[in-house]
Amino acid sequence: MRISTSSIYNANVSLLNQQQSQLLHTQQQIATQRRLLTPADDPIAAARVLKLSQADATNSQYAINRNAVQHSASLAESVLQSVTNLLQDVRTIAVNAGNGALNHSDKQTLATDLSGRLDELLSLANSTDGVGNYLFSGFQGRTQPFSNDIAGVQYQTDDGQRMIQVGSSRQLAASDSGADIFMRVKNGNGTFIAKAATANTGSGIVSQGAVTDPALLTGNNYQVTFSVAAGVTTYGVTNITPGASVPVPVAPGTPYVSGQAISFDGLQFDITGSPVNGDVFTAAPSTNESIFETISNLITALRTPNPLGGAVAAAEFTNSNNQALNSLDRGIDNVSTVRTSLGSRLRELDSLQNAGESMGVQFKQTISQLQDVDLNKAISDLTQQQITLEAAQKSFLAVSGLSLFDFM
Amino acid sequence: MGIGIFGRGVSALNAAQIGLSTVEHNIANANTPGFNRQQIVQTARLSLDTGAGFIGQGVDVSTVKRIYSEFLSTQVLQGQAQASQLETNFQQIGQINNMLADSDAGLSPAIQDLFSAINNVSSSPESQAARQAMLSSAQFLASRFQSLNQRMSDIDSSINGQISSSVTTINSYAQQIASMNKNIVQVQAAFNGHTPNDLLDQRDQLISLLNQEVKVNVVKQSNGTLNVFIGSGQSLVVGEQPIILKAVQSLSDPSRLEVAYDSGSSVIRAQQNSFQGGNLGGLLAFRNESLDVAQNALGRVAIVLADTFNQQHQLGQDLNGALGGNFFTQPVPLVITNAENTGAATISASIASTSALTGSNYSLRFDGGTAYTLTRLSDNTVTSLATLPQTVDGLTIATTAGAVAGDRYMIRPTVNGARDIAVAISDTSKIAAAAPIRTNASLANIGSGRISAGTVNAVFPVDVNLQQPVSIVFDSPPATFTVTGTGIPGSPVAGVAYTEGAPITYNGFTLQITGTPAAGDTFSVTSNTNATADNRNALQLANLQTQNTVDGGTTSYQGAYAQLVSQVGNKTRELEMTSQAQTSMVNQVIQTQQSISGVNLDEEAANLLRYQRAYQAAGRVIQVANTMFDTLLSL
Repeated sequence: MRISTSSIYNANVSLLNQQQSQLLHTQQQIATQRRLLTPADDPIAAARVLKLSQADATNSQYAINRNAVQHSASLAESVLQSVTNLLQDVRTIAVNAGNGALNHSDKQTLATDLSGRLDELLSLANSTDGVGNYLFSGFQGRTQPFSNDIAGVQYQTDDGQRMIQVGSSRQLAASDSGADIFMRVKNGNGTFIAKAATANTGSGIVSQGAVTDPALLTGNNYQVTFSVAAGVTTYGVTNITPGASVPVPVAPGTPYVSGQAISFDGLQFDITGSPVNGDVFTAAPSTNESIFETISNLITALRTPNPLGGAVAAAEFTNSNNQALNSLDRGIDNVSTVRTSLGSRLRELDSLQNAGESMGVQFKQTISQLQDVDLNKAISDLTQQQITLEAAQKSFLAVSGLSLFDFM
Repeated sequence: MGIGIFGRGVSALNAAQIGLSTVEHNIANANTPGFNRQQIVQTARLSLDTGAGFIGQGVDVSTVKRIYSEFLSTQVLQGQAQASQLETNFQQIGQINNMLADSDAGLSPAIQDLFSAINNVSSSPESQAARQAMLSSAQFLASRFQSLNQRMSDIDSSINGQISSSVTTINSYAQQIASMNKNIVQVQAAFNGHTPNDLLDQRDQLISLLNQEVKVNVVKQSNGTLNVFIGSGQSLVVGEQPIILKAVQSLSDPSRLEVAYDSGSSVIRAQQNSFQGGNLGGLLAFRNESLDVAQNALGRVAIVLADTFNQQHQLGQDLNGALGGNFFTQPVPLVITNAENTGAATISASIASTSALTGSNYSLRFDGGTAYTLTRLSDNTVTSLATLPQTVDGLTIATTAGAVAGDRYMIRPTVNGARDIAVAISDTSKIAAAAPIRTNASLANIGSGRISAGTVNAVFPVDVNLQQPVSIVFDSPPATFTVTGTGIPGSPVAGVAYTEGAPITYNGFTLQITGTPAAGDTFSVTSNTNATADNRNALQLANLQTQNTVDGGTTSYQGAYAQLVSQVGNKTRELEMTSQAQTSMVNQVIQTQQSISGVNLDEEAANLLRYQRAYQAAGRVIQVANTMFDTLLSL
């Protein structure tokens, strides 16, 4: 075929251009360490990289969020540990106070000790996170949750619980409301509370009692009334909730035996000692009694002995002390429950952290596979392209050097 | 007889001389673009009939012809128009491709920054530093949208400039071709029908250059002129008369230039997509197929982001206790009234549902009566609207009276999305990280009932009584409850049946009560005052990152942006490939054409020798004749 001289040059120039631009592309890949220099190099990989980098970024963000939860949960855990210790101490004091050998001034000393503990508990409940946010104040981070006034310690903030996103489909609580920790403690045995009336003049001591048949529970208020006639002590139980259905749970005139179980409507408790005529005991559904209230009730019981003295005063104190011990146990339980939940959150954070880290490695690996250059391949490409270009240049020189004019 | 020898010798000398000149001309123009090699056409003179038979009379050079294949030249023209369109289109889209190339400079890191900042606000909602970081990263995202959009607008206006200069170039070529036509006719008439080879080459070269600006069709006339047609058959050059093109403002979008015919007093508008091929075709194709699509897609991400973010933000409560406002300014659709409309109606378009937006442009035509025809330009889907207002593809189109049949409007719903997005608040305390309500179970409750934190219903505008206190008190027996609160119809509402865990909705909020409440147990919903540590709305805002909110709820913000990147990447790659293939195809054809018409210097060197030898031989003939004369004279 005939070849025009300018074609030789044009074709070679465009070939050299092509090879040079390939060489430059490979060189840029090596210099930037990236296979994808522009989306056009591999559009599908470019889009995948964007999606994966979002997944990777959110995954890293969840790790930061987990740190935040871990920080606040650890803080709350250490405060609640102090609370538990404190409540154990209070319980020990209450147990000591039940020792019948203590005289009035001994009890005063214990009361003073307890009131110091109450203040300490209050300050623990009002703990802050170091930047001025209260740990147990719900959504109102800057409002002091607990304050002490004439009516006792009040909870002034709310039930809010702050959740934090710690995984793509997992939120964990970063805070616990003070109401749930300190205020919502059921008194009595958690279902009902059996109490001696303050006006009692006998020495009857009522036990905490238990539920024998949850299905029979009514949630009504009951009253146990004692009467003593001719040396025989009898009692009857009446349902004093207005509009409550009869029958009468325990008929009046039932003979009283100290320590014998009194059961009705699924409840059971016993009374020991010697109630006198007209003494009244009540059984009512448990209500919330804050830990503060429990301690201050105990303080009050320690400080104000029954003026009747003797067995009556001892029985009244024993009743109060038993109440306090019950409530303290339930309070310690309640705090423990919150601490357990904190602990399981921390454990879950750990396992999420591990999962998150290995996911992060996966993401980064896939992103790298998609967009990073394989150096071995790139350098081998570069060498090959370099050799091809050199060959093309040399052969071009040889071809273009041939001319008939040289021989004329 | 002697005279005959001289005659023949001189004719041979002449022929060799002309041959040498032609070879010299070929050598001189070996690198002239568009030059076709020339050859002399030699013919033997008619011989004289003598008694001794026919005696040759020498040689004549009848003409100098150019070696030219019309078939191959037409093929080159066709291939070149296509190649230069692809090349231009590829170069233009390469700008967008490069803009999106750097994954650190695109939209993606800005989106991630914003949502990281929101997560940090969610972890410490009271922190001014976290809030400031959220505002700053939102501003960063908005400005990233704006700068990406600005870059595309710059490309758009640079295309206006390129269209102008392309039109100028086309006009200049058209004039030159017309005057070439004139010259060729004159020269052919004056020189006895000999073809003016170099003029023809020059004209062909001009046509080839014109063809690289816009694809042409060439029709040869019997008088030697060429008529040139472009577009869908409009003439550009007729004989000696060029038609002038003009770049004019588009009727449907004043910010853009389009190509029209200048008929002196008025302009005749042309169908833009008829200009196929060439640089101009490439520019127009890029603007319609790639630039609009990319700009609309980016705008759509901005619009959906602003809208979904604002909606969630309005369901929250800021640090001052007020309900959240708009976090971003909400971009609005662009409606352009065609400049030639005679009616006075104003069309307005508003966004009814951002997730239904398509990213296409729409053209709306009034058909008379109350009827309109809406055409979605991405796929030319036609929707007949019997009356306005109507909602199509998430877009509500309304009109005022006064339209005249045939009036046209261009609706570009998302084009300004990325330009107009901005952060609407500057006060960190206005970030609505909290929820506007909180729920509370009374400490005096006896039962085990628990109340959920409550959510605000996503109904806009938010209920005015949302933050009014509401109390829920369980009746005796606790199978029902009584709801009391301002704004609740018939308050107090007694005897509402209690189902554990069932949603309870009043005043624009929804909550659940679980467990077994006792009679008299009280739950309340109140305004969330002093809620510095509440992050519920921030949590919802942070979740928007991974929610599928764009394109009918099929993809996230980042996903939609990734779609844009892969779309541009694919188109760029496609153009790169086809452009390369087309260029190498054209190179093949050019090589074939050159193998016939191009100058080969070795061949010319050989011809040089050939004519040199011929000249020497003819000289020797004259010398012989001279010697013969001398012989005769010396007798």
